[in-house]
Amino acid sequence: MQVLSYSGSQLVDLCSALLLLTCFAIVAQRRLSACVDLFALQSAFLVMTAALVAYLTGNQHLYIAAALTGVIKVIIIPRVLKKVIDRLNVKRELVMYVNVPAGLLICGGLVMLAFFISQPIIPLGFLLTRDSLAIALAIVLIGFFTMIARQKAVTQLVGFLVLENGLFLGATAATYGMPLIVELGVFFDVLIATLIAGIYTNRLQDAFDSVDTNQLTVLKE
Amino acid sequence: MLNLLWILLGSYVVGILLPLCLPRRPEVQSLAASAPAIVATSAGIVLGLLGITSSEPVTISLASTIPLLAFSIRIDPLAAFFVLTISLVGLAASIYAIGYVRHFDGRASVPVLGALFNGFLCSMTLVVLADNGIFFLIVWELMSLLSYFLVVTEHEKAEVRYAGLFYLIMTHVGTAFIILTFLILFYDSGAFSFEAFRHPKQPLPEGMRTFAFLMALIGFGTKAGIVPLHVWLPYAHPAAPSHISALMSGVMIKTAIYALIRVYFDFLGGQFPWWWGFVVLFLGATSALLGVMYALMEHDLKRLLAFHSVENIGIILLGIGAGMIFQSYGLKELAALGLLAGLYHTINHAMFKALLFLGAGSLLYATHARNIDEYGGLLRRMPWTGVFFLIGAVSISALPPTNGFVSEWLVFQSLFLSYQLPTVFLKLMLPIAAAILALTGVLALACFAKAFGISFLALPRSAHARHAEEVSAPMRVGMGLLAAFCLVLGVAPMVIVPLLDRVIAPLAGISIEEKVLAMDGWALAPVNVEFSSLSTPVLALLLTGLALLGWGLAVVFGGRLRTRHYKTWGCGINLTPRMEYTATGFVQPIKRVFSTVYQPTVKLETEFLHESRYFVKRRHFEFHIEPIFEKYLYNPLVAFFTTMADRLRVIQAGSLHLYLTYIFVTLILLLLLAV
Repeated sequence: MQVLSYSGSQLVDLCSALLLLTCFAIVAQRRLSACVDLFALQSAFLVMTAALVAYLTGNQHLYIAAALTGVIKVIIIPRVLKKVIDRLNVKRELVMYVNVPAGLLICGGLVMLAFFISQPIIPLGFLLTRDSLAIALAIVLIGFFTMIARQKAVTQLVGFLVLENGLFLGATAATYGMPLIVELGVFFDVLIATLIAGIYTNRLQDAFDSVDTNQLTVLKE
Repeated sequence: MLNLLWILLGSYVVGILLPLCLPRRPEVQSLAASAPAIVATSAGIVLGLLGITSSEPVTISLASTIPLLAFSIRIDPLAAFFVLTISLVGLAASIYAIGYVRHFDGRASVPVLGALFNGFLCSMTLVVLADNGIFFLIVWELMSLLSYFLVVTEHEKAEVRYAGLFYLIMTHVGTAFIILTFLILFYDSGAFSFEAFRHPKQPLPEGMRTFAFLMALIGFGTKAGIVPLHVWLPYAHPAAPSHISALMSGVMIKTAIYALIRVYFDFLGGQFPWWWGFVVLFLGATSALLGVMYALMEHDLKRLLAFHSVENIGIILLGIGAGMIFQSYGLKELAALGLLAGLYHTINHAMFKALLFLGAGSLLYATHARNIDEYGGLLRRMPWTGVFFLIGAVSISALPPTNGFVSEWLVFQSLFLSYQLPTVFLKLMLPIAAAILALTGVLALACFAKAFGISFLALPRSAHARHAEEVSAPMRVGMGLLAAFCLVLGVAPMVIVPLLDRVIAPLAGISIEEKVLAMDGWALAPVNVEFSSLSTPVLALLLTGLALLGWGLAVVFGGRLRTRHYKTWGCGINLTPRMEYTATGFVQPIKRVFSTVYQPTVKLETEFLHESRYFVKRRHFEFHIEPIFEKYLYNPLVAFFTTMADRLRVIQAGSLHLYLTYIFVTLILLLLLAV
């Protein structure tokens, strides 16, 4: 049992680390469609993590959450985003507020920050997923950073979804997942947010001939 | 008693829902709103009387899932007295509304007006019954918001929207201070129930008590309309429909008086230094004098009445302030007398101010004009309204045999009794306050001589006034009810004084009923019969007797009593309304005397005939008085906040990325702080 727990904990950490790795890939990637693919990959890793935790702890409802993640974040949302990208004639992020090397450095800093912050908390935990908490926090911060650093609405949306993945991982890590009803609510929110943001991106394109959200400053009084 | 409470609340709920469910027939809808309100207010009157006379306060409490909040109600004599006041005025206003709201059909939604009316009455009743700080704040805000919606009933007019916004901002600023008061009280008691406020675990430090005193004074003073926080009244009261103005001016501002007494005498235990009372007294005197002076210069009848509310709140505060001063020197009987005078004036003002607002509403209904220079000669066309308005005017001018006289007499007496105070300063100050009150009374009389004379006497000054007709029966009943209360409270104080005494006894810790009601209740005395006494029934008999005597003498010794109808002698010239005294002309001497306060700007433009300057073609006269408080206090404040807001706009760049960065940086900083 001890061995299983130990190796299980290692496996969970590995999956979490893969999630974090895809984050860095998203930050480094300029092509929009590749970003979406990377997000789908990250979500797949999340499904793996959730399923693993469900298997190791015997929490049945986490299977359902994992399955829903699979359906919504690996299949539906990437499809919606791909459609949006197809409709726009923008394929690449040309101008960024922060260039790729600097962005990667900042993300490295954010990961360190996340570990630094969660250092006092982790030893207090007794769950086998406790180490993932720092990683989850790092993913949240990187997702947030992506929203700030990118100009195109689609990549900002990807940043938001990454942030949400981080939150899901955090919930799984800290408490073996939230109650099912909360998870369902969150999934619904994310799906709706994506749909709305997709429509919003199209409207942005129609109004400004661009999906740069910094065009929105002209709306100021 | 609880059954009555459920009837009261249930009727209000019915009154809120029923008019909204009925088909679009204004007469039916207004009846559907008024009938439940009549039931509820009648229940309220009985509940109030029972609450005052019952020996133990009744409490009920419904717990809630929200921490610190409980929907608890406590009917003690003080609360019951205000329920009684609210219900009496509410009853008259509900009857009046049956006839009055008809003229809103087409201009505003009658069912919504009816539903809001019921909700407003209900929230006011709950404000005085609430026994939990948070519950109090909820119903207090509800009362403010509902009255805001009622003020903006005619929201298509720009000035009504402005008035509403002004009121909303002022009342919210006031609520902020009230929340501070409660937080201070919460600080040491650790709970929001009023019981905990009354008995904190350890007594509040002196500094905190002073802070609570000032915060409560500003917060509730805003609602009461104490100078200089009164500026919203002359905007909001005229903008609202008249039966709502009657409620707002008659009772809503009194809830603030209730709350002040509750905080000072109940929560803070009536233990305070003398200067608290002096501050209240000073503000009362200032409000009374400035209120009536500004009222004199108003020719819009409802604005005039709104300024008189400021005056009367001042008179109430004079009584309460004197009571507080006596209380801090341990003169319990006199403290009780001051409070009694204040509360007596509270119910009196509720009656006559509501009556006057309903009267103003009737004039508005009949003539569609608010400026008294467009009235004139209405006594002949609207005799009932005229008589009721006259009774209200006599009451507010504090003339016997009406109720205003009795309560102002009591306020005077409590101020004169200051010779028993130990300090010279206060011995000097209280009589000065009495002198100010005397000046106030005189000016109020001048003001209502103007308001009544210009509106009801002489010839009609406009086509509106010429074609005015007497208002419908429900409106007359509503006014008549209040006029009757005014007379009863004036002639028979022995009806109300025992009730008031029961209200005050727990607060002042002493019962003064026997000492105030001298000679088996046939005379009033300010605690000490040797000092002075007043018998209102005798006074009323004397006045009636004198009038009859005069008439009798005229019959016996006068010449012909044959009536001859003829035009007023005008030196051979035909009389026209243009020859009449105008309201502006009437107040001209007073304006001259007090020009330091008014700082009037007068503009006279004369247009001469082209041929000769000896012949005047047209003259145009206008004058304005300086709105001192708005100019020197509120405008600078507004300018300051606008400047600050402009400065803050720098960070509002409108960029999505910038906003995200703000959130991100805040998050990181907070996380770092947490470690």
